[in-house]
Amino acid sequence: MRRFLATGVVAALLIAPQRSGAAQLRVQNVDGTFVDPLAPVPGVKAIVLVFTSTDCPVSNRYAPEVQRIVAAFSPRGVAFRLVYPNPAEDTAAIRKHMAEFGYSGVEGLRDPTQALARHVGATITPEAVVVVGGSVRYRGRIDDRHVQLGVERPAPATHDLADALTAVLSGRGVPHPATQAVGCYIADFAR
Amino acid sequence: MRTAWLALAAVAIQASSGVCSADRSSCVPPASLFRSADEAGTEEGRSGGGTQASVTYTDTIAPLLADRCGMCHHPGGSAPFSLLTYADAKRHAAQIAAVTERRYMPPWKADPSDGPFVGQRPLSESEIRLFRQWLRDGAVEGDTPAADVPTAWTDEWQLGRPDIVVALTQPYTLPSDGTDVFRIFVMPIPTDRARFVRGLEFRPGNARVVHHANIRIDKTTVSRQLDEEQPGPGYEGLIARSAQYPDGHFLGWTPSQVAPLLPPDLAWRLDASSYVVAELHMEPSGKPEKVAPSIGLYLTDVRPTRTPAMLRLGRQSIDIPAGDSSYTITDSYVLPVDVDVLAVQPHAHYRARDVRGEATLPDGSTRTLIGIRDWDFRWQHVYRFVTPVHVPKGTRLSMRYTYDNSADNPRNPERPPKRIRWGQRSSDEMGDLWIQVLTRDDRDLERLSRDFRPKVAAEDILGYEIEIEKHPSDAALHDDVALLNLELGRADAAVTHFRASLALKPNSAAAHYNLGTALSVAHRLEEAVVAYQRALAINPQYANAHNNLGSVFTAQGRYEDAIREYREVVRLQPDVPGGFANLATAYARAGEFSRAIEAIDAALRLHPMESAASELRRQRALYLQRK
Repeated sequence: MRRFLATGVVAALLIAPQRSGAAQLRVQNVDGTFVDPLAPVPGVKAIVLVFTSTDCPVSNRYAPEVQRIVAAFSPRGVAFRLVYPNPAEDTAAIRKHMAEFGYSGVEGLRDPTQALARHVGATITPEAVVVVGGSVRYRGRIDDRHVQLGVERPAPATHDLADALTAVLSGRGVPHPATQAVGCYIADFAR
Repeated sequence: MRTAWLALAAVAIQASSGVCSADRSSCVPPASLFRSADEAGTEEGRSGGGTQASVTYTDTIAPLLADRCGMCHHPGGSAPFSLLTYADAKRHAAQIAAVTERRYMPPWKADPSDGPFVGQRPLSESEIRLFRQWLRDGAVEGDTPAADVPTAWTDEWQLGRPDIVVALTQPYTLPSDGTDVFRIFVMPIPTDRARFVRGLEFRPGNARVVHHANIRIDKTTVSRQLDEEQPGPGYEGLIARSAQYPDGHFLGWTPSQVAPLLPPDLAWRLDASSYVVAELHMEPSGKPEKVAPSIGLYLTDVRPTRTPAMLRLGRQSIDIPAGDSSYTITDSYVLPVDVDVLAVQPHAHYRARDVRGEATLPDGSTRTLIGIRDWDFRWQHVYRFVTPVHVPKGTRLSMRYTYDNSADNPRNPERPPKRIRWGQRSSDEMGDLWIQVLTRDDRDLERLSRDFRPKVAAEDILGYEIEIEKHPSDAALHDDVALLNLELGRADAAVTHFRASLALKPNSAAAHYNLGTALSVAHRLEEAVVAYQRALAINPQYANAHNNLGSVFTAQGRYEDAIREYREVVRLQPDVPGGFANLATAYARAGEFSRAIEAIDAALRLHPMESAASELRRQRALYLQRK
């Protein structure tokens, strides 16, 4: 598990999630119920997983931007899931965090063994993964505001997640299917 | 010539901050923090080799985290999470390795070898490798129990209980979203008499969103008025010119950095009815945040005997072409007296990349004062030398800043890049190096101030001219730059700006009056008479205008006209000795010595300052002889 380190290298090839062993893909929702986060939902064209953690300032500051993306794309058939891979964050902490940061229209999921993170290849909070029909179509940053830790643009120049969703919904290929997210390390929760 | 100027806020030599007092242990970080590169190298052999025992939390990591990170990363501290337990550290092990390798943490932008500076906590290269090694070794806890974590920090006032606490009564609510917010808060200081201040401690009231604070003292109500003009606590805009560093002392705050108490002989004077003006740089956190800063003042009854001076190097002629990746400004100043450099504070905005200040001594040797290779606008810091740097008279203080206005600079706010010029807003660019120095005595301070003031006034004029280009209808900008020009003896330039100000407010008696004053300094007496007469046509009760017009008439030899004006002055201001004194002079020039003596007696009955009184008595004796 410790080998799961963020290396800073952008994966060139995206791997379609393997849907074998459904038990591995069970994560807890905020009510404590175990659910399959990638199960097809009628009317949903794409599922977006946004990995986050309660004490990561980078992912926290993205909350309003995530909300804007949710508001823009939910009506167009995109389902959003906020995934908490830190085992120390229980469902009560997740509910509190979501309320404090005003998340709505998003399902909170607890991924205490990082099974879902591994399954889709997420290594950072915040990192967004767009799944369509069981395959990952985009994985990486929400936008390019953070160049690296400590180097921030005053405002983002590219809105990678929104661009990916627009492409997916219009049936086009995602121009940059993999980008490097900047933030806190999910590997730290696997220890 | 007596003139009643608009109040001119002194900008040049401002007072600013801190010296480390020898008795404050907090000033002197443990010697181990200043390990030289050589020592760091020897340490490498001890802990960096491949066959060494694995790095554990208890043996190696816990003491490092406590010493270098605990100031902010403790429960309730300014950092987003604590790092003081094994569980906390393990849960951030990869993060710690990454941020220390990039030297993003601990946040210290200056090259530590140019200090030592108060409060610097550098990690050596080998210490940084220890964090990576610990991660590779599995981030294990270790067998030996961790030593008790030293609690050098407190969440109470770091300097002890303040004598006066000034707080924002109504918290400001920072929005959840958007770009960084710069907002200025103005808080009255409850004192009814002048006090002397040894220390000022800032508490952000919400350290997780307050990134730094720029603090000034305003003896006027200008800042308060600016605050009142905008709804809610504080205002967005520029710090007023009347809000200044007091008596050559830096005031400011960055996380975990508290300026040590000053030695009492270096305290600064706080006048009654002053305001604390704090510009807060805040970063939205993703949710709405309440921010209620407070400021503690530490007083002394001891009247200070020494006052530092604030020198400012820098260019307001900054004009960076779009795309220029290496635009450089330089400035320098040769000291006319010996000084001790106490502290430096570089200031620039988003496009600055490399920031450097140095002293070249008369023997040709150089001493770097500050060097920042990766300037980050977000980490504004006052760098205080642990030991003041003595430099003799004839030393050249210099600065050199390099800017990247290309698209390759990720911090560049403009995409595509555009031409950028000097300006105080963060969207403009600046390049200043403030240097706080202490002279040997007050006579040297006076010499330094007199020598330095014209330099900084000339630079400020350049900045004003840029502002005027941007805001040509701002009469106050014309007034300010006219005053600076007058201070430098550039009377014709002052006339030009007062004329521009007058054109914007043609019905203002004060605008005509100001123009008259500049014209009379320029020896354009006929035009000055016209200007004063226009001021008086608008406001016949304008005593200062009568007075200055009288002075111009006196200079022109029109004594009867001068006497008429001064008689109006003493009618309007029967309690002011100056009008009678001027009237006496005009009578004497006109040969009316009896009346001159009467006017002098009237002036003397009003108890003028002793220096003026003795001059009046000398003139009286002279007039008695002439009579």
